[in-house]
This record gives sequence, C-alpha cells and structure tokens, in this order.
Amino acid sequence: MPKVHDRVLLALSTLGLAGVFFGGFLNFAPNRLATGVAYPLSQAPSLQAAAAMAGLCGLALLSFARAQKLWSFATILAAALILWGSLAGAGHFAAILMQAGPPAARASLGPAFWTLASVAILAIVDAVQRGDFGFLARASIGAAICAGFFLMAAAGDFDNLSLAREFLNNRGVFVTELFRHLGLVGAAIFFALMIGVPLSVLVLREKAAAGFVLAGLGVLQTIPSIALFGVLIAPMSKLSEELPFLRSLGINGTGPAPAVLALTLYALLPLVRGFYTGFSEVAVEVKDAAAAIGFGWRRRFIEVELPLALPALVSGLRVVTIQAIGFASVAALIGAGGLGTFIFQGIGQYALDLVLVGALPVIVLALLVNLTFEMLLGLARRNL
Amino acid sequence: MPAVCRSNLPRGMTLSHYQRPLSHETLRTPTRRLFLAGAATSMLARARADARPIVVGSKLDLEGGLLGHMMLLALGEAKIATENRLQIGPTSILRAALLSGAIDLCPEYTGNAAFFFHEEGDPVWKDAAAGYARAKKLDYEKNRLVWLTPAPADNSWVIAVPDTLAREQNLRTMVDFAHFVRDGKKVKLAASAEFVESAAGLPAFEAVYGFRLAARQLLVLSGGETAATMKAAADGISGVNAAMAYATDGALKALDLHALEDTRRAEPVYAPAPVVREATLASYPQISAVLSPVFAQLDLASLRDLNEKVAVEGEDPGAVAREFFRAKGLSQ
Repeated sequence: MPKVHDRVLLALSTLGLAGVFFGGFLNFAPNRLATGVAYPLSQAPSLQAAAAMAGLCGLALLSFARAQKLWSFATILAAALILWGSLAGAGHFAAILMQAGPPAARASLGPAFWTLASVAILAIVDAVQRGDFGFLARASIGAAICAGFFLMAAAGDFDNLSLAREFLNNRGVFVTELFRHLGLVGAAIFFALMIGVPLSVLVLREKAAAGFVLAGLGVLQTIPSIALFGVLIAPMSKLSEELPFLRSLGINGTGPAPAVLALTLYALLPLVRGFYTGFSEVAVEVKDAAAAIGFGWRRRFIEVELPLALPALVSGLRVVTIQAIGFASVAALIGAGGLGTFIFQGIGQYALDLVLVGALPVIVLALLVNLTFEMLLGLARRNL
Repeated sequence: MPAVCRSNLPRGMTLSHYQRPLSHETLRTPTRRLFLAGAATSMLARARADARPIVVGSKLDLEGGLLGHMMLLALGEAKIATENRLQIGPTSILRAALLSGAIDLCPEYTGNAAFFFHEEGDPVWKDAAAGYARAKKLDYEKNRLVWLTPAPADNSWVIAVPDTLAREQNLRTMVDFAHFVRDGKKVKLAASAEFVESAAGLPAFEAVYGFRLAARQLLVLSGGETAATMKAAADGISGVNAAMAYATDGALKALDLHALEDTRRAEPVYAPAPVVREATLASYPQISAVLSPVFAQLDLASLRDLNEKVAVEGEDPGAVAREFFRAKGLSQ
C-alpha cells in the first residue's frame, strides 16, 4: 500500500473530483434572469475537459510522492493544466452554446468550474510552500499564471462568459470604482495610523488607560458596519451644515467622508491592540539588559524594542488593511462608490455575475495585501 | 442587513437616517451667528459653484441608472457640462445628497414625496397630476427644490403572478386576484417588509379590493428588491406564486409574469420627474426645456422596454439611453 505523503493534495483532488461529478460546469440560460440548464464538464469541449481531468488525476497521484522540489514542480504543472483546462474549456464551451442560443442568452460559470479553479490555485500554493521556493521562484510562478490568464483574456477566450459580459459592460466605471475603493481604504488606514499611534503610546504609558481604551474600541468593533455607516449620516450632515468650510471641502453626510470615518473607527481596535501587544510583550529582561549596557531610551527603542515588536505591528496593520478592503464594499450604500457599487447593483438586479464583478476584485485585493504583508512579516522576522 | 425598513420610510430607503430639511427654526438656535456667517460663505461658495458642471445623481437601482443617463445625455446635447454621480445609493442617500448640495439634479418619483413630507395617508398622491403638483409645491417651499415636468409613466407597486396561473385562473386585475384569495385558493406572495407593512403598500391593496393575506401566505424579504421576489414567483421557490413588483419592471416579461392591473387605484402614483436645486436652475434656466421632451417620451411601455434591455439583456444603461435618444430623434 503506497503511503500518502501529501494529505492536502489528496483532499484537494478528491474535492475537485466531487465538484466535477456533482456540480454543473457551465449554466446556460436564455436571458440574464431566467433559470438555465446546467451542463456538466463531460459535455464541455473534449480537449480542455480531458486536460482538466488529467491534471486532477495527476494531483491525486502526486499526493503519494515525497516532498521534493521536483514533485512540487510536477504538482504546479498539473495544477496549471487544471487551470487551463477549466478556463479554456469554459470559454470555448460558452462560445459554442452562445452561437446556438438567443442574443440575450447567458453562460455562467457553475460550481464545478469554481471548485476546479480553487483546487488548482490551492494546490499551487501548497506546492510552493512545500517546495520551499525562494522569492524569485514564487514571483515568477505567480507572474506566469497571471500572464497566461491575461493572454487568454486578451485573445477573447472569455468573451462569451456572462461574467466577462458584465465586466465589459461596466469596464468604463470599473477602474474609477476600483480607485475609489483603494482611496477609501488608503485614507482610512492613514487616519487610523494618525489616531492609532498616539493612542497606542498613551495606552503603553498609562497602563490604567489601556483597559478603558481597548474596551471602548472593542465596543466600536461590535457595531454592524451597515449600522455604523447609517448612524454617521445624520451627525455628519449636521456638521457640514454648521461648518461651511467642511462643506466646501465636499464633506457632508453622504459620500466618502462618513465612509472613511467609519472605516477608520473599525481599524483602530486591531491597530492599537497590535501595537499594544507588540510593545508590551518585549521582555522586561531584554529592556533591562539594553539599559544595563548603556543604551539611552531612544537607542533602546529603535534598536531593541521596535525590531522585537515589529512582527506584531505588521500583523496588526495586515488585519486592519484586509478588514478595511472588505468593509469598504458597504460604503457604496452611502454614496461613497467603490467596488461595492457592483455588488449592490448585482444583488438588486439578481445578476450574480455582476455581484462577482465587485466581489472578485475585493477578494484578489485582500489576497494581494495579505501576500505583501506576509513578505514584510518574513523580512521583519528575519531581521531579528 | 438589518431590517430597518419601517412603514414611514419611502421605498428603497434602507437606512434609517436622512437629513432633515433646513427649517427657519435653525435661525433661533444659539449658533445663529455662526450659521449666518456660514450661510454668507456658502452663498459665496454657491456663486462660484454655479460655474461648475451640474452634478447629476440617481438611485442605485436599474431605473435610476437609466433615467440618470438620459439626463446626462440630454444636458450633453444642450452643451451643458455635467458630472456623473449616478447610482450613489438608496433613496434616503440620494435625498440627503440633494438636500446637502452634494448633487444638483436627480430623478425622483412623485409618490416618494408623500414619504418625504409624511403625508402617506393623503389620497392626493393617488392622482398623477395632483400628486405631482403637491410634491412640486412642498419641495419648493421647504427645500427650494424644483420638480420639472414628469414622465407620463407610473412606476407604482404592483402584484404580479406567473402567466400560466393568470391564464388558468383568469387573473387580469387586482379585482380578480381578490376573488382568488377570498375563494381560499393557494396564494403565497413574496414581498419586501416595506410593502407588507407600509400603509401605502399591501394594506392599501387589501383595503381597496377587500381581501386579506395571512402571515403564512407571505414570504417577507427585508430588502426591497423586486428582482428577488419576481424570481421567487417565476421559479415557484418555497411555493411562492405571486410577487411584489414595480409596474415598469423590465424583468416581468422575461420571467413570464403578469402584472395585475390596479383598476381601483389603491396605490400612490410614482411618476419619475427630474428634481433640481433652485440655484442650479437659476444659473442654467434652460434645463427645464432640455429635459421635458426626454421625459415626455418615457411612458410605461418605453420604460418597461428600456428596463428590460438592462435587466434581462444586461446591456449598459448608458448605451441603452443613447440608443433610445437615436430612435426617438432626441440627439442631433
């Protein structure tokens, strides 16, 4: 009996097979609202379907291989085969179905597609971690996959998919909303740092204040985001009515101002807590030792406390940023725009692919930020 | 999303706070001097602002996008500079933005004025012309907002049933539906919490047509989205066979639903009209003449048609609006 060396891979390939056998690969409907017919992978163009299946079987076999760089490469190749097979298969299949259907017909990606795509991506992440690839190798693997995806998109391989149609319909505003989203997040992080850093210093100096401040921020955190956004409208409107200079800056009850304020308030707790734990967990002995060898407070802070606290600081900032990226979606409800616009329009029109036009970039942004902070965290730890 | 829809909120309002209109009482508060100084500054700011493009806003929903694009196009044709702030949020947010001057012009429905001024019980809103006149008068007196010529359409609440059921049971109007309910036939209506609770919604239908739906005959969704209710009725989800909808909904035809005619006028009229800030109208007096021929073309059939292009075929609302302008000879 061969021994399973990679349980993750075995689980992933089982999940992929289950998805293929029990879920539809492509859903074809006569129009954007109608409930369509689900087509399984077996009815997709045979070359691409076979490639995806071969990749899946490859992954299952590779879970019996020992953790070696060579096998990690093989895993990545098998996963890439699944990715290509499902992407190209869906695009090609959609083109065939759309040719026969009415002009308003829609081909949407089904559960089998999403399972295959996530299995492939998770398998790649797993392989990269197991193979212990360096930064350059990781970056080039990521770049190669992205390049492949964009080449296929540029060649029009996806043009017949409903998701691509929704995106192309909103192409004009997409970039604007993306930058609005990033702007909201950036502004919120900026203000959170401006308030959070002095607050952290206060909390660290006055231990008595720590419990009070952290509890207060904790209460803020429990307010549902939609409620906080709503509650801010009235006082902000009042404020801009009373203070014309605020109004001339474009600050009023709706739009980006209350959104940034709400996001800032949400960011404070994880930020201050990260700073607080980071600095308070620097061992007293270490600080004493630094003082004993004649370090002044400034030198002690820069050369001893800051590097030791840095990992906690970076992970605090990571939580804050990822959280803000997600929460900023709700800002669309109070006129601040952002990617949430597509999500709420999609919900309103019962157009799930339009929801994805907003939701997928939010997920990708969060993953990218996570990746960046992970690298920073690695650097912060290495410098210890 | 918490269910904050209460009966005193206009439809589409999902947040409980919106800005109160500025009243003269403000001047008697201790901050009077500050306020007056502020008013002077903001008047100066406004004088400068008028040289700026007209900021056009609209609701987050599909028809909001369409009507907004129509206004942008019409103003563009008249060589008036505009700024696109379409689909900024639900009714409450759009209203707050208009009152605070964050936007200058937006489409609004006459029936919603009943909610803005807390006059839901008044029968005046059930008459298109009288309701419009009342909205125009109230909003100008209280907020210096000007209602321009409305479209000859009515996007009021309706109850829709699947075509097959309508044919089998011969359901054409709400009178037929009331009979159907009274006869004890199987009915389950999918509707928003607002429609079920608001005096102008389902209770108005029940009172005028003389029927009563029990709690088990209702599937209440807290959001006010008709797409979900219509989908439930079309697919028979959870036994639903009737749906709350809007009269101009573009999805009715695609989902094979029949809107039951409100022959005894139980509901307020929701005629879309452009609403503009007085200051903006003063510096661009031609707006009224520019927009009225466009809105005059938007009758129930055309609006349903246009909405359908966006909702069902998934076309870009801007492109649909441009196409409509070409077809009706509104663009040069």
